[in-house]
Amino acid sequence: MGKSFKILAIPYQVWLSVLVFIPLVAMVVISVTNLNSTVTLSELQFTMEHWVLLTQRPTLIAFRNSLIYAGSTTLISFVLGYFVAYQIFRLRIKNKFIVLTIVILPMWSNLILRTEALLNIFSENNILKSIMGFSLFGNIAGTPTAVLIGLVFTYMPFMILPIYTALEKIDYALEEAALDLGLTPMQSFWKVVFPLSFRGVVTGSILVFLPTMAGFAIPKILSKGRIIFIGNIIDTKFIYTNYNSGALLAVILLIFILGSILLMTRFDKEGETLL
Amino acid sequence: MRIIGRLCDLSFCDLHNIQKKVNKTLEIVKKKSIINPCETNKKQRRTKMDKKALIELIDVTKTYDGENVVDHLNLTIYENEFVTLLGPSGCGKTTTLRMIGGFVQPDEGKIIINGKVFNDLPPYARPIHTVFQRYALFPHLSVFENVAFGLRNRTYDYLSHFFGVLEEKSDSSKKSKRDHHKLLNTMIDSAVRDALALVKLKGFENRKVDQISGGQQQRVALARALVNKPQILLLDEPLAALDLKLRQNMQYELKEMQRKLGITFIFVTHDQEEAMTMSDRIVVMKDGVIQQLGTPKSVYNEPVNRYVANFIGETNIFPGTYIKKDLVHFMGADFKCTGYTFEDGEQVEVVIRPEDFDVVDLEKAKLQGIVTFSLFKGVHNELDVKIGDVSIMVNTYETYEVGEPIGLTVDPYEIHIMKVESDGEVV
Repeated sequence: MGKSFKILAIPYQVWLSVLVFIPLVAMVVISVTNLNSTVTLSELQFTMEHWVLLTQRPTLIAFRNSLIYAGSTTLISFVLGYFVAYQIFRLRIKNKFIVLTIVILPMWSNLILRTEALLNIFSENNILKSIMGFSLFGNIAGTPTAVLIGLVFTYMPFMILPIYTALEKIDYALEEAALDLGLTPMQSFWKVVFPLSFRGVVTGSILVFLPTMAGFAIPKILSKGRIIFIGNIIDTKFIYTNYNSGALLAVILLIFILGSILLMTRFDKEGETLL
Repeated sequence: MRIIGRLCDLSFCDLHNIQKKVNKTLEIVKKKSIINPCETNKKQRRTKMDKKALIELIDVTKTYDGENVVDHLNLTIYENEFVTLLGPSGCGKTTTLRMIGGFVQPDEGKIIINGKVFNDLPPYARPIHTVFQRYALFPHLSVFENVAFGLRNRTYDYLSHFFGVLEEKSDSSKKSKRDHHKLLNTMIDSAVRDALALVKLKGFENRKVDQISGGQQQRVALARALVNKPQILLLDEPLAALDLKLRQNMQYELKEMQRKLGITFIFVTHDQEEAMTMSDRIVVMKDGVIQQLGTPKSVYNEPVNRYVANFIGETNIFPGTYIKKDLVHFMGADFKCTGYTFEDGEQVEVVIRPEDFDVVDLEKAKLQGIVTFSLFKGVHNELDVKIGDVSIMVNTYETYEVGEPIGLTVDPYEIHIMKVESDGEVV
């Protein structure tokens, strides 16, 4: 049994090393050398001259945009998502799986398609107007608000699920114990339920923060190219075969990701809230 | 005494302002210590007749899905009493406890505590604390923080009354207010330390609750409830998860604690031995109805029906006839009995505990049988004796071989007679 399982694991291990580990090393190497399509391996040299990119204004603005939008998306998703997760947790319905399915239902359609649809709804002449005669949003396409709504809409389920999981794992007796010890229901929420669901909040925040910061499709589409994220710069660099700069920015993103994973393991050692 | 000890500790701290207040409170406490709980307890036990009713359940009913889980229950519990609700799972004992604690609202009837109707009062407004079945300790807090949890989340007003240190109205400056709060916080700290010492958990303050054993968790749960000085402590099968030795030790400790602190304990269990060891009174329940209410002795020796007799200890029940005063006929022989009045010739049920049979010489015996099974139980031997086609259980100190004939008799005062249950229910 153990042996055949070992053999069956080999394809993934190969896939992991060929398609993840080697490219990762290559990315780091490209970011600190002059390697590109015109330079052969024999001419390979260590250089950090393209690191000047990190001090250029467009890059800094893109980083700032990425961080600010990722931060606000995380915060909004947390506030709204916590209520949703708590409501699902408190529902008296037996089959909560159905409710959770509804929460993740938007993920069933393609991300680009959804975002384009949102762009249409945010535009002057949109589908809602032609159907109902009025629109809820007005013409906000291309504005920061549109981007923020798009990001929250897309990534909120990633916040709701881990918080819900963390809440489900809290023993109801603990809340009763808090009430028994003289706390009001509100106090017992803040002193018992919220601290115990906090690791779900951390996991959810990272699951929202990272893809938002690294993403490029949603801001590109919804801001009509006006708001540049770091992902958009990486995208452009690779399109114009400036691999060194693109790889460098990707490495910087990688550092953020590793930092987040470290943070997550501190709060949720067994990764319980991910399941 | 404990309060004074705590204040002595306090006075060693170098906060001068606090010192002043402490001296003041010391005087108050000295006055109060005349009515120290230990002493009042003794006093009250001496005058057991005029006990004060603390909790009254009047016609309390709780229905789940059309079924009465608790059915028109009437129960009065007095001050400083150790009352056990005993019964198998599903008999309504836990629901009764949860209604007293305020976690479940009764559908009918009244719950009166200290003379006030408590039906709709939420748990946090009741002078009651609970030790939960699986302890329900807060996993994100240390042992110390767990015990301090109740007091820490009270208002300063509440704490001032709780510790009996009222703020001086005259100087309500910010500084004195801060000092007062500081005093209250130090008092919480020492109260928590006292509670931990009471349950023998000194030195475990900074442990996480998942770093201590089940027995220790149980003690933390106890300290967490007791530190709030409840009038009533509810215990929901708190010993169920402990191993036998630990459970027996805790039984004695709980009983001792209850005696010392003068708190009313309401204990829920399905373990009749546990109930016997600790209780002042036992409430035997079945299907939401009280079957019998009485001291362990009376419940054991004089069960009111088959159900109670079977539930409390091993027993033999025989159909019989009450021939006339002090004479009962069962197992084909007439036995003298004492203290029961039925109609002459009435069908009755006779209860005899296994240890109440006396083994005698065959010619003197009223009952003669053959030993069919013998089990050594340490102190005594457990025998199955076949008399005719009825098998009875007998406990004796002597050893008998299987197949040996044996003669039995019963003393009049060991015979307990019950009315035959009208609905003919077989339990």
